[in-house]
Amino acid sequence: MALPLRKYLTVFSLFFLMAASAQEKFTLSGIVTDAGSNETLIGASVFIIETNTAIATNEYGFYSISLPPGTYTVEVSYVSFGTIRNTVTLNRNIRQNFQLTMGTQELDEIVISENQKRAAIKKPEMSVNKLSIQDIKKMPVVLGEVDILKSLLQLPGVTNAGEGSSGFNVRGGAADQNLILLDEATIFNSSHLFGFFSVFNSDAIKNLKLYKGGIPARFGGRVSSVLDIYQKEGNSKEFHMNGGIGLISSRLLAEGPIAKGRSSFLVAGRASYAHLFLKLTDNDNSAYFYDLNTKLSHKLNENNNLYLSGYFGRDVFNINNSFNNVYGNTVINLRWNHLFSEKLFANTSLIYSDYYYGLELDFIGLQWDSGIKNYNLKYNLKHYLSDKFKLNYGLNALYYDFNPGKVSPSNESSSINPEQLDKKYAFEPALYIDAEHTLTDNITVSYGLRYSMFYRLGAQTLNTYANDQPVNYDNDLKIYEKAPATGTQRYGSNEVIADFNNLEPRAAISYSINDNQSVKASYNRMAQYLHLISNTSSPTPLDVWAPSGKYIEPQLLDQVAVGYFRNFSNDKYTLEVESFYKKIKNRIDYIDGANLIANNAIEQVVLNGRSRAYGLEVLLRKNEGKLSGWIAYTLSRSEQQTPGRVAGETGVNNGEWYKTGYDKLHNLSVTASYELNDKWTFGSIFALQSGQPVTYPNGQYVYGDITIPSYGQRNEDRLPAYHHLDVSATYTPKPEKNKGWQGEWVFSIYNLYNRKNAASISFRQNEDTGYNEAVRLSIFGVIPSVTYNFKF
Amino acid sequence: MKKITLIIVLLTGILFTACEDVVNVELDTAAPKLVVDASIEWAKGTDGSQQTIRLTSTTGYYDNSIPVVTGAVVYVTNSSNTVFNFIEVVGTGNYICNDFEPVIGETYQLTITYNNETYTATETLYSTPDITNVTQDDQASLDGDETEVRFFFQDNGLEDNFYLVRFDIEVLPYPDYDVLDDEFFQGNEMFTFIDNEDFEPGQQVDIKLKGISQRYYNYMGILINISEGGSGGGPFQTPPVTARGNVINQTNPDNFALGYFSLSETESTVYTIQ
Repeated sequence: MALPLRKYLTVFSLFFLMAASAQEKFTLSGIVTDAGSNETLIGASVFIIETNTAIATNEYGFYSISLPPGTYTVEVSYVSFGTIRNTVTLNRNIRQNFQLTMGTQELDEIVISENQKRAAIKKPEMSVNKLSIQDIKKMPVVLGEVDILKSLLQLPGVTNAGEGSSGFNVRGGAADQNLILLDEATIFNSSHLFGFFSVFNSDAIKNLKLYKGGIPARFGGRVSSVLDIYQKEGNSKEFHMNGGIGLISSRLLAEGPIAKGRSSFLVAGRASYAHLFLKLTDNDNSAYFYDLNTKLSHKLNENNNLYLSGYFGRDVFNINNSFNNVYGNTVINLRWNHLFSEKLFANTSLIYSDYYYGLELDFIGLQWDSGIKNYNLKYNLKHYLSDKFKLNYGLNALYYDFNPGKVSPSNESSSINPEQLDKKYAFEPALYIDAEHTLTDNITVSYGLRYSMFYRLGAQTLNTYANDQPVNYDNDLKIYEKAPATGTQRYGSNEVIADFNNLEPRAAISYSINDNQSVKASYNRMAQYLHLISNTSSPTPLDVWAPSGKYIEPQLLDQVAVGYFRNFSNDKYTLEVESFYKKIKNRIDYIDGANLIANNAIEQVVLNGRSRAYGLEVLLRKNEGKLSGWIAYTLSRSEQQTPGRVAGETGVNNGEWYKTGYDKLHNLSVTASYELNDKWTFGSIFALQSGQPVTYPNGQYVYGDITIPSYGQRNEDRLPAYHHLDVSATYTPKPEKNKGWQGEWVFSIYNLYNRKNAASISFRQNEDTGYNEAVRLSIFGVIPSVTYNFKF
Repeated sequence: MKKITLIIVLLTGILFTACEDVVNVELDTAAPKLVVDASIEWAKGTDGSQQTIRLTSTTGYYDNSIPVVTGAVVYVTNSSNTVFNFIEVVGTGNYICNDFEPVIGETYQLTITYNNETYTATETLYSTPDITNVTQDDQASLDGDETEVRFFFQDNGLEDNFYLVRFDIEVLPYPDYDVLDDEFFQGNEMFTFIDNEDFEPGQQVDIKLKGISQRYYNYMGILINISEGGSGGGPFQTPPVTARGNVINQTNPDNFALGYFSLSETESTVYTIQ
């Protein structure tokens, strides 16, 4: 395999030379932490006033900056923390850690800074949204259950396939195109209760960042976005607990030092109530979910840190003992931070994650198990070469073990024949390098390259088909059908069935017009080797992932984005305007009537298509003051096309472009919070969106004494406009209390004016009269809720 | 296996106090198309000579009557070119044959001439196993308060089989269909069931079982899904599609007909709720 890397390497070495030609410098480096808990702060700003250079701490709170010898004023700040200003004389390499103090505590000399929220003017990073847990917790939510994924929907460019649907859609991409990382581990199913709640317990989460474009080369494997979530490490100074009691679930978190200042633990659990929502009176029924987050952090010495984190979550349904359903994620992750030098920060991660789905239907005698196991090695180096040049490079290797389903009889009288659907195996290694490079005072660029490979491995027996076409087209009837297998081919253990490799260049540039304004542009190419096999509006927990292989090609994305960024009125307000265009090759669609569950030869029902999306996003934020919040507006289009494979074939929807189920032409979201006083804070969200694209019938007919609606082109109609207003109030009875028991009440009302938003409109015969009717399903009416949170 | 998705949808319905109401949606009406309801059914124990084919057309979604297609010429031929004419009971859209000769495994061709366009369809007559047993369970289904009627039959282990089941019950104004395949039941006893909370003792449940082709199985699977409003709606709805059957317009392929030409031996039984 020849690597066409040469030309890229030339470019890189050129930049290296430019970077290396600098004068002798010393390095200031260290860790920024929360003084109260020793929790590292991700994305804290370290600003050198004299040189006007800013650097943000990495995912482990580390920063490093190299400067010519001299005396400098260093300003360290972080959202809702007090800013520290220090003078440093740099005549050698200096290790300097900073401890910031939470803003609520009284310290005269410290100015509370909110300016973290200001748009990063000079950094080429764009299409990225950060949400702090504090902000998320202030948002009103359905039934008071703080939900990280639903909070993302208030950001520009993020939507979902309607209320109650699982997952989220970024810039017109599908839900399976988001890479969701929890402490760097891939989460395959992010929802509890079929999509109503997310699997992330907000108490245990420290920080999250959503990359919608300009995605750095260290990320790969999904084409639409990266949601990078970090768990807290746990307080290494003092033992604390916090928790909450809500309508859906209760939470409890404990954290504290094991060896003071060196090692800490965190355990967070959340469990819903056992008979959640069940209107049924039978006591045999239960429906609940729970999850457990754990973390151990240990500082070996100044240069080495170890982290062991875990996640375990399950949804459990048991109805009348005849329906048993259990599913969820398990994640174990060991990480080792190592500082080779002041300039070279390394992280090694060993990750195991799995997703399990089990279903027992006793009334048809079926036991079903499916899932995906994933072993992941990451080795990442951050190289702070100079104040103008940073490198990030490393490798990533994933091994997948897919179980698309195992069918077995659930009881002795069952007449089901046991069958294990073919297990699938794949290996996905990648190498990457990314540079961030300040060229002039006004221009900063970042550029990188990811070389990803994918090997579909045995052991597996694959069907062979005439002309290698697993789908037949009947030219007379104009229908696609499964092609009969002409034979089988056996691949031995670890034998390569199919392999792919892709070069994924990433680039971004920012040009700052002045200190408060800049324009940016970015380009990224990404490859996705896994496909979620699903033809419902939003993914179900039962959906299985299929790796690319002999018959299914990897998805390939190209995205360009341009943007204008501005801070004004002394950073009080921020305006971000971005426009994007993206196209994705090899987006799969399904033949009519395809059965996707327990299908051992999925290639027989899959057609290859493509998708595209484009749009304009506007984000206006008010960063400071009693009233803060943002207005996000997105104008966008998301489409898919599955043309016939040869002339004369119809493809899907006659081969024409059609809107995806999550296309929202207009999407407006207003999120505001108002601090009345120390005791009362109010929050509100208003959302207004175009209705989801749907297909309405253009006629009916009768066949076999049932009425069938007849349909025209796909997704040409829209559900009525979707809007709701939610409000919340947070009451802190004793705001001055910093020690001991501290409580807080959160009251919220979702959908204040009880808008009956249509989740769908179904066309069917009335069960009593037999006449046709259109039936609107609305999921959430007005829902008041109350939650009590505490900490001590 | 399709049942699994359905069950998930059911469960979401149970879990959440979701609310359904009938709304008024304005709809367009496309130009009418011919609809062919040609199910040749050879009831076990009969000679199968009496058969009906019904021709109608598509109409506006909210219309309460279905326009019938009259004046068409309809006949079926077998592989030895014997012609079975289907003569219309004038003005009804019902075309009747009195001398049909059903043979299991025989391939038949349907020809319809209407509005100077000729439509054809080809299909094989499939055999059907006997219904071996019918049972009733009064604490069935997910919430345990519905009555379930379940019937059993023996699958042929030597071939892949596909089945269509029709239930007619008094509490529903239209029949309930189900399609089955033997993928995980090869050669075993198979079953399916109907449940309803309004079943009362003394009510009759008409059960009809047919062996069908794989293509017809696919067709009916799509039809059942869209007639039920796309798997019940909500987040797990599948996109509605036009179900294309096996009737080809030979004169003008773009003006295709809807419906299906199928032939099956049929097994029926009537069960009275206890």
